[in-house]
Amino acid sequence: MKWTTEDIPFFINEREYIDTALIPLLPIDFGNGIRQSAAMSEFITVITAELERQFKGRVLLVPPFTYLDSENITVCRDNLEQWTNKMKEEMKHVILITADPSWKKVEADIEDLLVWMPLVPLENMESEYKRQVVSEQIKQLIPLIMDKWKSSP
Amino acid sequence: MVSEKNHNVSRRQFLTYTLTGVGGFMAAGMILPMARFAIDPVLKAGAAGDMNAVAEVADLTEEPQRFDFSYEQQDAWYTSEVTETAWIYQEGDDIVALSPTCTHLGCTVNWDANEDHPNQFFCPCHGGRFEKDGTNIEGTPPTEPLHKYQVEVQDGTVYLGKAEPQI
Repeated sequence: MKWTTEDIPFFINEREYIDTALIPLLPIDFGNGIRQSAAMSEFITVITAELERQFKGRVLLVPPFTYLDSENITVCRDNLEQWTNKMKEEMKHVILITADPSWKKVEADIEDLLVWMPLVPLENMESEYKRQVVSEQIKQLIPLIMDKWKSSP
Repeated sequence: MVSEKNHNVSRRQFLTYTLTGVGGFMAAGMILPMARFAIDPVLKAGAAGDMNAVAEVADLTEEPQRFDFSYEQQDAWYTSEVTETAWIYQEGDDIVALSPTCTHLGCTVNWDANEDHPNQFFCPCHGGRFEKDGTNIEGTPPTEPLHKYQVEVQDGTVYLGKAEPQI
């Protein structure tokens, strides 16, 4: 389900089935890294939209968790934890997805499934090729998510 | 010698012919655009409608295969490219195209994706299952069969229209 007025009513009615929150983690940088920041945002948006399409009936795609790139990653993690704790009052699973490698450093301190995807520069690709690359990536992600469900259904 | 008189067109005749001709052109100039506007919606609907070319008949097998296709969709002021998927198979002369959207809560189902339930459509979200023809299997969450696309074949190409409920 998407975070839209069209989908949210389904979420409210079918809470028992929609038990997973998908949170994109996006760094914001206004300096030299602004290009990179935009590319990550674009890439993760495409990936999460496609995952939402695949798992519409069980996954709620929430608005992205954004943070300043210059911020200390442990501080970000603490802020994120507030989000996830709140969400876990309602949902069984939380899945985090990002292209920012800094999260790898604190991965051990995160109890939810953190998926880090190496950034693919989609901007230079033809749309047919882009679709292929994205669907290839999605294929790899699907079993990860299904395993997470299987391990604690 | 042919008499000159036979070739003569009288002034009256000449004027009648000319005026009829010119008048005819003018009338046509006015009526044709009107007629064109009047029948325009009919012509548009005839032009393939909202069907999308999705696959070649030669590529189809008895096993459902996944085909992706995309088209532009206008939603208020926002035009977006929508990608859809269809599971298409051929049975005798019949071509069946099923929508992959699970009728339970809208996840995407896959053919033959679960080892315990071969030759069925399987929904990864809540374990919904469907027969090859899209019929939902008793005891799994979905309550109706997978939706079926309108299928049209032209020159060996499969065109799909809207997905419609089977019941």
